[in-house]
Amino acid sequence: MTVSQFTIFIVDDDAGVQKALSRLVEASGYACQTFGCARDFLFHHDTDIPGCLILDMSMPEIDGLQLQASLGAGGIDLPIIFVTGQSDVQKTVTAMKGGAIDFLTKPVNAPDLLDAVARAEAQDTQRRHDRDELSAVVARAALLTPRERQVMQHVVAGRLNKQIAGDLGTVEKTIKVHRGRMMAKMGVRTVAELVRITEHIGVWPNH
Amino acid sequence: MTTMDSQRSSLLPGGNPLTALQKPILVACAYFIGAEAAFLIGTLSDKIFAPFWPPNAILLCALLSAPINQWWLYLLLAFPAHVIAEVGVGMNLSQMLVAFATNCALAVAAAAAIRKWIGRPTFETLRGTGIYILIVGLLAPAVVALGGAFVPISGGENADRYWRFWAEWYASNALGGLTLSPPILIWLNHGAWSFKVHSKARLAEGIALALCLFLACNIAFAFNPGTFAEGFLPSIIYLPVPLIVLAALRFGNRGASFAVLIVTIDLIWRSLGGWSLFASNDSETTVFAIQTFLIGLSSLMLLLGASIDETRAAARRNREIEERMTFAAVSAHTGLWEYNIAENRFWTTDFCRSLFGIPAYTKVSPRTLISTVHPDDRPAATRALRVDLPAGEPAQAEFRVLTPDGATRWVHTQARVYRDERGKPLRIGGVFVDVTQRKEIELEGEERRRDLVHLTRVSILGELSGAIAHEINQPLTAILSNAQAARLMLAQNPPKVLGAIDAIEDIVREDTRASLVISRIRGLLKKGEVHFEHIRLNALITDTLKLLQSEFMSRRIKVKIELEKKLPTIHGDPIQLEQVILNVVMNAIEAMAATASNQRVLTIMTSMNRPGFVEATVKDRGRGIASEHQDRLYEPFFTTKTSGLGLGLSICTTIMKSHGGDLQIVNSPEGGASVSLTLPTSVHSPLGAVK
Repeated sequence: MTVSQFTIFIVDDDAGVQKALSRLVEASGYACQTFGCARDFLFHHDTDIPGCLILDMSMPEIDGLQLQASLGAGGIDLPIIFVTGQSDVQKTVTAMKGGAIDFLTKPVNAPDLLDAVARAEAQDTQRRHDRDELSAVVARAALLTPRERQVMQHVVAGRLNKQIAGDLGTVEKTIKVHRGRMMAKMGVRTVAELVRITEHIGVWPNH
Repeated sequence: MTTMDSQRSSLLPGGNPLTALQKPILVACAYFIGAEAAFLIGTLSDKIFAPFWPPNAILLCALLSAPINQWWLYLLLAFPAHVIAEVGVGMNLSQMLVAFATNCALAVAAAAAIRKWIGRPTFETLRGTGIYILIVGLLAPAVVALGGAFVPISGGENADRYWRFWAEWYASNALGGLTLSPPILIWLNHGAWSFKVHSKARLAEGIALALCLFLACNIAFAFNPGTFAEGFLPSIIYLPVPLIVLAALRFGNRGASFAVLIVTIDLIWRSLGGWSLFASNDSETTVFAIQTFLIGLSSLMLLLGASIDETRAAARRNREIEERMTFAAVSAHTGLWEYNIAENRFWTTDFCRSLFGIPAYTKVSPRTLISTVHPDDRPAATRALRVDLPAGEPAQAEFRVLTPDGATRWVHTQARVYRDERGKPLRIGGVFVDVTQRKEIELEGEERRRDLVHLTRVSILGELSGAIAHEINQPLTAILSNAQAARLMLAQNPPKVLGAIDAIEDIVREDTRASLVISRIRGLLKKGEVHFEHIRLNALITDTLKLLQSEFMSRRIKVKIELEKKLPTIHGDPIQLEQVILNVVMNAIEAMAATASNQRVLTIMTSMNRPGFVEATVKDRGRGIASEHQDRLYEPFFTTKTSGLGLGLSICTTIMKSHGGDLQIVNSPEGGASVSLTLPTSVHSPLGAVK
């Protein structure tokens, strides 16, 4: 995973606004990239770069809400800060429901914008971190043997070694061995940790 | 028709048959008296006999005054009168009958001929009098005398003297018709028993004139060559003539005919007694001399009287026409004027004086008229009053007149040149019409129209308020962010001055951008005068569309712009044309409200389809125009929208027309409507020079 700087993506069809906003965020110490329309952004932006999106609501062809929907459908959860000239309640609700960080009206006040950017950065960092962690766990889980996987399932369910041995039809000692290897491979020391990291990777058995 | 019916048909209502006989009996009596008078002259003097036969003259008058279906009655009753009179002088029966027959023939023939060609003789026209003289003084007696000459022959006279008798017969009857009949006929024309005179003065004048004439005749006809040199003989005859002419001048045909009668009577009376100017050896020659003199004199004087009457009547008619014309003109607030070029004379009706407010003591001349005209309008007014108007073309002008009491009146003048056969101008005639009311209404109407155009423009802007707010908001956003960025940059250590300067420059540019939008809106909101200038249509369209950008975006409308590159400039008022474009495009946007959003396409094109004209077309993908609405589109207050006045299109059409262009809407084959705006290029514009 490449380590890149947190970048703010600005999408606005008005050149003057685009330039001003980019100047503002750069003066606040952020990196930024500007795009004149949604299509340009979809084709040219790099999803690996951490960042957030400052998005104009009303644009020709593909407007802000449509872009939000497209990104969601594509599984890209880049945090979005909407800016708009018109305050339309319906659009606001749709945007927030779609997971936007904030909805600001033009002319945009710098403190409000920068505050939203900070929140966006936190959210993005958190999400990326969560995602990275998740893929690491999945990679580790892939190294388990089928037996070890079974044992993990039962351990996570809260079963004692003796019970697991009884469920799987083997002796306790064998279970202990599997368990030890499994814990080592998964890189955890306690059952609680195991439960936490396996929460999101679907190890729960179908009881 | 029975005899009784024919009589009753000519009666006064309610009259009985006896009344119908009144007039013929009177005539018969007059006939008798006239005959006796003629015989009397013969008995009184051995120098002469009656130069005319009164009964014939009376009979002629009677037949001319009575309806044709009663003529037989008059002749019937005249017969006994004739018989009684003639028996008294010892005429035999055959002579009597022939005489009566010829008399009747003469009267009937003359009366019939006059009736046919003149109707009832009034002696007021030259033509009528001339024909009367021809018939009564020449043709009728000449023809009937052919038979009348037989009367003495049948009485035993020598047949060799036929032509002598013919001449006597002719002269006698002609004279009666020319001297006795006219006064009687004129008297009957004025109402048989009425003897109205205009005033006592006129009556006195008439009597004095008659007496002077009598005196003059006596002097003239009593002239004896022995008293003076013989050479004066012809000239003394003319002594009564000036008086007769005076009578004709003062009393018209009445004067002429009565004067002639007086001369006739005087001459006869003189000749009774003895010597007169016409006396000769035998009575026949004397009488013939008198007759020829009187026939000539009476013919001329009757014609003179008629000619004077005719001229007077024409002059009176002209005066009446002029009075009527002037009255009509004044009622219509119109003054008449005429300039006679040869005599350099300028004539106006009184109304012109009050119209132009010229005081009573000042002469009305072209110069004084022009001096009351508003200075700005003087060139136009002077042009309309000038001499060298092209042939036949009525010149027109409208100008303001400033009256002394401070009021402003609008006057319309129209003039034309009257030329002679060679095309040389003789006079210029024209009218001045007070059109103040009309002009004020016109000006007010124009003001209302301007108001309406302005109001619809303002309402369009009202509809665009969202779009306008957006257009201003964008630069404001940029300005705020640039300013805050600059502050941050300057707060850093070290401060980023260059970056801040860039930001500030952008602020200035964005401010200009906002100002442009504001001034454009302000221009559209202003009512203002219409100012025509050279416009590049493509630039106007693109600028106008900028205002609508956010509308296009929010309605998800795709705009296709195809502008002809080398479009010639047009001549017009940019604000009004912008209004038309806004209106048409907004109609197109509305029309596509129900269209699927991915189908919403607005196409705007400019082209030069016809030489001298530039065309802008706006096409939408709405539902098009329903056929039942096609004809009503341009009607004021017609709209298919749920809200809105429906004035937009009718005002747009008015604006286009006032630019010399046009607005047409058709359904386009791809579906939807297509609006084409046509405008003449600057070169071809009918609007003239740019102010």
